[in-house]
Amino acid sequence: MSPVASRKQLRKSKKAAKVASPVEEVVEPVVEQVEEEEDDIEEVLENDEDEEDEEEFSDDEEDVVVKEQRPLYNDEAALTRLANDLKLKDLPWIETMVVTSSEPTVVADVEDEMARELSFYQQALEAANIARDLVNQAGDAFTRPDDYFAEMLKSDEHMAKVRQRLLDETARLKASADAKRQRNLKKFGKKVQVEKQLERQKQKTDMLDKIKLLKRKRKDGAGGDLTLDNDFDIALENTTDKKRAKTDSSQKGSKKDAPQKGAKRAHKDTKYGMGGKKRHAKSNTAESSGALGGFNKMKGKPIYKAKGKTVGKAKR
Amino acid sequence: MATVFKAAEKAIAKSDGSSKTKDKRANKQRVMLLSSRGVNFRHRHLLTDLEGFLPHSKKDAKLDTKNNLYVLNELAELNNCNNAIFFEVRKRQDLYLWMSKTPNGPSVKFHVQNLHTMDELKMTGNCLKGSRHVLSFDKTFDSAPHWSLLKELLAQVFNVPKGSRRSKPFIDHVLSFSIVDNRIWFRNYQIVEKNQLNTPGCTTLDKGDISLIEIGPRFCLTTIRIFEGSFGGPTVFENPEFVHPNFIRASVRKEKLKKYQDRQKSIETRKVRVKEAEGQESELSDKRVFE
Repeated sequence: MSPVASRKQLRKSKKAAKVASPVEEVVEPVVEQVEEEEDDIEEVLENDEDEEDEEEFSDDEEDVVVKEQRPLYNDEAALTRLANDLKLKDLPWIETMVVTSSEPTVVADVEDEMARELSFYQQALEAANIARDLVNQAGDAFTRPDDYFAEMLKSDEHMAKVRQRLLDETARLKASADAKRQRNLKKFGKKVQVEKQLERQKQKTDMLDKIKLLKRKRKDGAGGDLTLDNDFDIALENTTDKKRAKTDSSQKGSKKDAPQKGAKRAHKDTKYGMGGKKRHAKSNTAESSGALGGFNKMKGKPIYKAKGKTVGKAKR
Repeated sequence: MATVFKAAEKAIAKSDGSSKTKDKRANKQRVMLLSSRGVNFRHRHLLTDLEGFLPHSKKDAKLDTKNNLYVLNELAELNNCNNAIFFEVRKRQDLYLWMSKTPNGPSVKFHVQNLHTMDELKMTGNCLKGSRHVLSFDKTFDSAPHWSLLKELLAQVFNVPKGSRRSKPFIDHVLSFSIVDNRIWFRNYQIVEKNQLNTPGCTTLDKGDISLIEIGPRFCLTTIRIFEGSFGGPTVFENPEFVHPNFIRASVRKEKLKKYQDRQKSIETRKVRVKEAEGQESELSDKRVFE
């Protein structure tokens, strides 16, 4: 089999595969147009690594007709030769300024942006430190002085925009934090306000009670006791409790008793007091359902007594 | 007399000026920056950014062909460049970056993803336009032959030669190339040294501590193929993990299509099943009874 024929076969199989599987054949026309040498074919046939193309779309079996088994290019000998040919020889470091990291940059998860960017940052930082030493050794200036003005990569307007954006962001954060704080304060303040109000109310009622007490005392004990202002005050302070006030007043011999509950009040209390009417008032209990008969219609009702002009049967 | 003077001048130049000219000759690199037609605004901005921090570059007009890339070799020669960076844009969406040592050196085609240009307001760093930069490579570049070739190529294309005309004196920024997930990630950081001005609580101990601020642009390169010649030639390396963006888009659409197809299929199978099931006519079927 001549190399040319095998190449034709390769092309045919590629075309058949192209119908089914659109793998990256974009480069192929460029390559084939430019150079069609014998070297080409040699490279294909003598590969250091023969790998089968991974079937990336095996999920949809119906579309794939032919499985690609073209060997992948990886001519390591040629790669190393080219790299060596390319190398610039006998140049001091300051010409090339290439720093290789001491450890390979490994990122566990590519999707994790923080870790990835951090590893890149660390690699660059290490390189910058090494480079500074090397540059100083070579005698060149490394640090840019602060008064050195020259054209920068980004214009001044752009940098102003960047600065503005940063400022806006900090201001926004601050504003939201302030608003939050105000809201919390307001809630707290409301609580405090309510408490204060209640306290003031309580104080007011206390004061009024004291005044009432005082009035009563004055009325009752006006004839007997000659209380001076000081005594009056002291007397007041001693009788802050209502109960104690009561006992004091009874001791002084006042006519009026402590307010007693009237009969009406007592009756109403039994009906509506302490939580209202009791439930099951009209339900049967064990005794009531056990008491058969004995129902006295006239129980509790007064016996009718005629008054006035009506005469009894005996007389009629 | 004139000839005697000239000879004397030459002799003097040879003796002490040789070091200067030697340096220039030793590392004379020029990069030609090009794009194809149909570029996106983002790609255009990237090209401008690259032109900004590669002072040894020359931006050229758009190339109207995407297939006959060998003309780039001639263009480079016209511009006196020995490196070329070409942006090939397909479907106004996918950016492919060609990098090559133009007369006959190796070339490589990358697929560019995750592109963020320098204009993004989140990248707050800034540096001198055209200052020489430090190139930081990952150690993984020494692990495989294709990576070491790429390292050489990137180092030569991105490095600013010492006596370059538009270059500025100080070293302001560092370009970093890292290999993660079989891709090359590019970052550009500004070198900031701590001093009294920028940090309030600076002491003599941490004065001169370097910190980095990202300038941009940032992108991620996936190797597709490495060719022995410039913009052509035999392939010396092919990346098995490269998936064509067309294919990714097609597979996304196929998945949506699959749902509908599955449903249609199940309807068909159900019809067949129902038909098969109703074949037998028993004695008590309606047909027989109500004859």
